[in-house]
Amino acid sequence: MSRAVSGREQLVSRAFIGLADTLVDDYDMIELLDRLVGYSAELLAADAAGIVLGDAKGTLRVVASSSEDAELMELLQLQNDEGPCLECYHTATPVSVPDLDDAARRWPGFTAAVRARGAFRSVHALPLRLRQESIGALNLFHSRPGPLPEVDLALGQALADVATIGILQERAIRQGEVVNEQLQTALNSRVVIEQAKGVIAERAGLPMDVAFDRLRRYARSSSQKLSDVARSLVERDLDPDLMLTATRASPPALPRRPGTPTR
Amino acid sequence: MTRALLGMTRYDVRDRVLAEQICRACVDGLDVHGAAISLLTGSPSRETLWASDPTAELLEDLQFTLNEGACMQAASTGSPVLVPNLNDSTDAQRWPVFAAAVAEQTDALALFALPLQWGTINLGVLDLYRRTPGGLSGDQWRDAISAADVAALMMLGVRTEPGDGDAHGDGDGWLDPASSARAEVHQATGMVLVQLDVGAEVALARMRAHAFVEQRLLIDVARDVVSRKLRFTDDMA
Repeated sequence: MSRAVSGREQLVSRAFIGLADTLVDDYDMIELLDRLVGYSAELLAADAAGIVLGDAKGTLRVVASSSEDAELMELLQLQNDEGPCLECYHTATPVSVPDLDDAARRWPGFTAAVRARGAFRSVHALPLRLRQESIGALNLFHSRPGPLPEVDLALGQALADVATIGILQERAIRQGEVVNEQLQTALNSRVVIEQAKGVIAERAGLPMDVAFDRLRRYARSSSQKLSDVARSLVERDLDPDLMLTATRASPPALPRRPGTPTR
Repeated sequence: MTRALLGMTRYDVRDRVLAEQICRACVDGLDVHGAAISLLTGSPSRETLWASDPTAELLEDLQFTLNEGACMQAASTGSPVLVPNLNDSTDAQRWPVFAAAVAEQTDALALFALPLQWGTINLGVLDLYRRTPGGLSGDQWRDAISAADVAALMMLGVRTEPGDGDAHGDGDGWLDPASSARAEVHQATGMVLVQLDVGAEVALARMRAHAFVEQRLLIDVARDVVSRKLRFTDDMA
């Protein structure tokens, strides 16, 4: 039992150190959120996770997710109509669905969509809090039903709080203008990153999630901001072949989806 | 406010006419005294597309002459630059010469520069000013950003307009932010720009042209590109 505890402690330390790295000068917000979503899924034993931020109109937009699964995107996105994420965002409190079977009356559309996908049985949403309000939510999906244990809830909220601070930065909390500027920037950065994923995916014949992984690895290994690398690729200042060669040495190859060109 | 912008006809629109319509809608619908839209991409082609009044025009001119200012910063960073009080030294320090010139030569006390941005494509900057200091309230910010988003969509829409420009309505779904802002559209743009060895704007234009010819929605074309059912080549329609 002590081994399990220390194993988790290590994970937690790694998570916070990794997050702290992104809070220094010139950090990249999308990278922060991307790491956060990964750590959250890992630490909270979630099968999938996503972060949504509310734009100026209050529409929830996905800014990070643990996988490129289009259906996961849909589950995050459709919560603009109903669902734990939306409620969490509006109330700025955690919203838990320990068993989807119990949620059908509350959110019929959302429950039906999750059921159709067949992979998740419980869903939890934690607010990215700013004083009394929330700027977005961290959404966790589990394949098993069950509540989130207190310890996990606290840890998850702490991770969400780090995300919020990372997004807003301390002085921004005092100046409404900077908050708005930064949120808008984050949303636009995501566009560039999606475009860059397309560039890499096409150039190397890779699926989108692998393309994103290569992008991330190159940014880290060349000590550049993810957003800057993405921009250079889309503006064609950075040759994708160069970037791909630099990141070719990699951990065990991901299995290719059938039908994907192997070029 | 957004509805007013979207209600504007799109056919036979050139950048300048569109800029005028956007600025007028902003001055009418937002709580600001004036508005202007400038193009700032590439130093030789800096110009004011339209300004609602002499002060708005002067604010643009000052930035071009002095080569600094809120509008420039917004264009180069792709982030909004909000200056609720030009007399506030912290803000003014970012562009001291510009701030001083504005104080001397204009009656503008608050400035809000919103880049019209689509990923890496900068279509201009929408500059709003007020003669009284103060930030934008939550509602005003929402409206201002909506205006900038719609304006960016419309300007990019005009530049990548498929077909002959005759009103066929929003045939490919471009003006529907729910469709045009989908990740697949951006990913497909990235893929097509490699396939055709062109820039993002041209890639988008080609996809829209294809959607128009095939009578399909842009989002559906984008999905086909991403799932590799559709590849763009130079000799395509």
